[in-house]
Amino acid sequence: MPTTLDVEPDLGFKQEILGLGAQDLTACYQCGTCSTVCPIATAENPFPRKEMVWVQWGLRDLALSNSSIWLCHQCGACTTYCPRSAKPADVMAALRDFSITHYAFPRFMGRALNEPKFLPLLFLIPAVIFTLIIGWLGHLSALPDGEIVYSKFMPIIYIEVVFIGALSLSIIAAAVGGVRYWRAMNSGTNDSGHRRLPLIPTLLTILKHRKFKECASEPATGRETHKEHLYKSHLLVFYGFLGLVVTTTAVGIGIYAFGYLTPWPFWHPIKILGNVSGIAVIVAIAVLSYRRIIDKEKAGKSTYSDWLFLHILLWTTVTGFTTEYLRLAGIRELAYPSYFIHLILIFVLLVYFPYSKLAHLVYRTVAMVHNARRSPGPEAVPRVLS
Amino acid sequence: MNKNIGVYVCSGCGIGECLDAQQLVALGSDEGGAAVVRTSPAFCLEDVQLIRDDLDSGSVDSAVIAACSHRVNADVFSFGKAFVERVNIREQVAWSHPPNDPETQEIANDYLRMGIVRAQKAVAPTPYTEAHERTVLVVGGGSAGVAAATDAARAGYDVVLVEKSAGLGGYAARLYRQFPKRSPYRALAPIDVEGSIEQLQSLPNVRTLLEAEVVETSGQPGRFTVTVRRNGADELITAGAIVMATGWVPADTDTFDAYGRGRYANVVSSMELEAMAARGSIVRPSDGSPVARAAVVVCDGQGDDRHRPYGGNVASLVALKQALYIREQYPDSIVYVLYGDMQTPGPYEYFYKRVQEDEGVLFSRGDIRSVTGNGDHDVVLEVESTVVGGPVRLSVDLLVLSEDMVPATADAASGALSLSYLQGKELPTTKFGFADSHFICFPYETRRTGIYSAGSVRQSMDLSASAQDGSAAALKAIQCIEQASAGAAVHPRVGDLSFPDVFLQKCTSCGRCMQECPFGALETGEKGRPVLDTNRCRRCGICMGACPVQVISFADYSVDMLAGMIKAVEMPEDDEDRPRILVLACENDAYPALDMAGIGRLQYAQSARVIPVRCLGSVNSILIADAVSRGFDAVMLMGCKAGEDYQCHYIRGSELLETRMQNVKETLDRLALESERVTVAEVAISESDKIPAMIDDVVQTVKQIGLNPMKGF
Repeated sequence: MPTTLDVEPDLGFKQEILGLGAQDLTACYQCGTCSTVCPIATAENPFPRKEMVWVQWGLRDLALSNSSIWLCHQCGACTTYCPRSAKPADVMAALRDFSITHYAFPRFMGRALNEPKFLPLLFLIPAVIFTLIIGWLGHLSALPDGEIVYSKFMPIIYIEVVFIGALSLSIIAAAVGGVRYWRAMNSGTNDSGHRRLPLIPTLLTILKHRKFKECASEPATGRETHKEHLYKSHLLVFYGFLGLVVTTTAVGIGIYAFGYLTPWPFWHPIKILGNVSGIAVIVAIAVLSYRRIIDKEKAGKSTYSDWLFLHILLWTTVTGFTTEYLRLAGIRELAYPSYFIHLILIFVLLVYFPYSKLAHLVYRTVAMVHNARRSPGPEAVPRVLS
Repeated sequence: MNKNIGVYVCSGCGIGECLDAQQLVALGSDEGGAAVVRTSPAFCLEDVQLIRDDLDSGSVDSAVIAACSHRVNADVFSFGKAFVERVNIREQVAWSHPPNDPETQEIANDYLRMGIVRAQKAVAPTPYTEAHERTVLVVGGGSAGVAAATDAARAGYDVVLVEKSAGLGGYAARLYRQFPKRSPYRALAPIDVEGSIEQLQSLPNVRTLLEAEVVETSGQPGRFTVTVRRNGADELITAGAIVMATGWVPADTDTFDAYGRGRYANVVSSMELEAMAARGSIVRPSDGSPVARAAVVVCDGQGDDRHRPYGGNVASLVALKQALYIREQYPDSIVYVLYGDMQTPGPYEYFYKRVQEDEGVLFSRGDIRSVTGNGDHDVVLEVESTVVGGPVRLSVDLLVLSEDMVPATADAASGALSLSYLQGKELPTTKFGFADSHFICFPYETRRTGIYSAGSVRQSMDLSASAQDGSAAALKAIQCIEQASAGAAVHPRVGDLSFPDVFLQKCTSCGRCMQECPFGALETGEKGRPVLDTNRCRRCGICMGACPVQVISFADYSVDMLAGMIKAVEMPEDDEDRPRILVLACENDAYPALDMAGIGRLQYAQSARVIPVRCLGSVNSILIADAVSRGFDAVMLMGCKAGEDYQCHYIRGSELLETRMQNVKETLDRLALESERVTVAEVAISESDKIPAMIDDVVQTVKQIGLNPMKGF
């Protein structure tokens, strides 16, 4: 016998979710078509109808303590099939947006990434840090002479100190957020699942983009959902980003372990990896943005945080390239400022990651691990979708 | 009586390619003794003039047209008063049997023989035109009644409106708001009761009798005599037709016991909430304090035995409306709407969406498990099977339960019309107390011809639907008056001028016809013999089927005629391959289904001989005995579904037949004949595809039990 829930609606929560691009939720008449057509929802954990109802009823704790919101990969099948055009995919996206803010540590950082008024401040912090360093090195009045070498302008060691310091804090913050979510999920279920954490299988699922592939599989009647490109686009941006991370790490290792100073020649395999990865990221973001703009109806609402993340990732990569080409072109007056801007963008992208959409790499992974832990045994009987 | 019969054999539509017309011609002139026999490649085209000329010249007085089914080209083959018999050799012969086959030819021959017999025996009916009162009486002055009275009066008929209370308007006068009536169907609408009453009262041909009740109704369509009592005085009113718009009453409050009504002051009914809303202040009845949380429960009876299962969309819409009442008065409140099925037909879907947009209204399907007291908000509901994901507990200040709408006809004691009919004072009702009718085909009908139900007494409905219903019933009443004054049936045999004639000298006063008539058309007369109130009759012939001494017949439909047709079939003797099966098919559903089988070119056994009957209830048992003694190997009675979801156009025809069949089978058993030879088959009009198998089953049965041993006697 399931326990009886004492209902305490939180209409403020409902309003906040509606405000995050999920206004059409009110049209939902709870039929459950969404849960049925979802290519990755299971009978044991059907979604997104229950999330729709929880938001309608303002049941905040239920909505935020479930793995479903992060298991969803936003293919949009539910929105395509919804007979009332209630756009469940938008509601799930809004819930994810909200949950990033909700689990954020410290909490005000969650708000800072979601409210446009804080945007200048976000950029001001790295700008001030880097300006102080440059000023201390005396490059504010005169750019370094001779061949363009960025480490003359901003020695690698300073960058390492700033980023390793800030990123460590970010990773701690992200871990706190992840743990908060994990605990919330545990409190939401009586069954805490197996003790072992299925990290490796989950990681493989992520690397192979298995869920995205499932999302692209044909739903009930083969209606065209908008996100058929999603598997490919995300695969591209995922490996592009990973490539850039590998490049950066390899460069660090090169410098410190082997004294192999930058800039490295153009033909160097790591250099090639970096350039190819950068192009992959730009192409993927171009596709993702293009779909969001021309196919608004099916792509779903694009919120502030959606665009903020896409722009930061795009401009970080673009400035990476301009920085590289301006150096090769020998335009000192532009190359160094470009590098300066590039560093600021990298800071915004990486250091704020627990609070931006990039936080999905924490929350989605946590949700997938949590869910995999509760993978159904043979006795699990599919029940009516609730 | 010998008539001049003309036989017209058509060869169009594939008949010529299948049958030998010359055989039919010879049969018509020799065996049938027809005065004229003609053929044509298509009688429905210019050759129809040949038939008309024969009738006009007087050389022919009855036309037997062997062509398509009587269900098509009725207008083409209509020649004033002349009797026309249509022999169906197209749908039921050429289209459903192999061509140029002796057995197929034999079917056509038999059908022509039957047609000639029918034409010989039929007499043109003389209509009964003695009742032609043109006043419409409307009983009940609610939305439906006011609309019926207004529209009947506007159509030029005198109207008498009888209302038992002191004012018109009914529930409309007691409700705070109604559901939106116009696009975009978002805002609750005020109810303009005064407007519609003023409009009614401005009509010169309407008499409104308030605080009045009907104490007796007698007579028939075209001439009902109604006694209306007002202020202790009785007044006689003569009316041509009656619209009964007596509305609904709330169910007994004990229906709500399980929901805490009576136990907790803050559990109220929807009508009580309407009263609060109309006063302008919805509060907790227990202490008069504001409402912060409320639950509105749609008691539509789905999955809830405590409630009547027909509340449907009214209960849903009332709940939506009342959720808004509470939200409008308390903008910070939360209103739960709990339902089994949310039914918002047509444009009301927009209204549903609008209420959903109100973020303080929370919806879920759910079953109320219990209602208890003493929560934070006094009333605590436990709800199961919700979509929230399990049982939930809701604390509310106010629980609103939708009323079960019980039709006024359910209370036998209320006796709105007090009919002085042999069969009883009340209208026959179905299990929930609604006036019985063929709900699909004739929704406004009751089983008392000329009395039409409208509004919530007919089906739970809202105010605007009631008003529309009233208008529709007024049209039915007008149609009835017009038909009755011409002596014609209203429905389903629209325009039929024939009616049952009782040969009283031979009547044994057994009373079966009076008891079995589904419409109470026969009253007891002198020496216990039946007297027909002609316009109450729907011409089904159930009385003819019931009569044990076969003294009831119509001018163009009688036991003698059917017996003659049965006898006309040529009976092969001792031929195992040529059994004969008599199919008596109800003309409303089974016969069209047979036609449809032909249209679909479905082939079925050549041994079947089909005779259309007005209703299976009109089949007198003696006909079955006749058929068996004539040598038919089996008799199939093909008709509509009986029972609770009956499809019979005459309500009880199939049901009565079933009881009669018991007697027939006993008779067969006594004669040492296998009772399997007589079967009843239920066919819906849409089930033509099942017909070949049904007939085949009977053929197989005959094969098993052998040919009828009575053959040849």
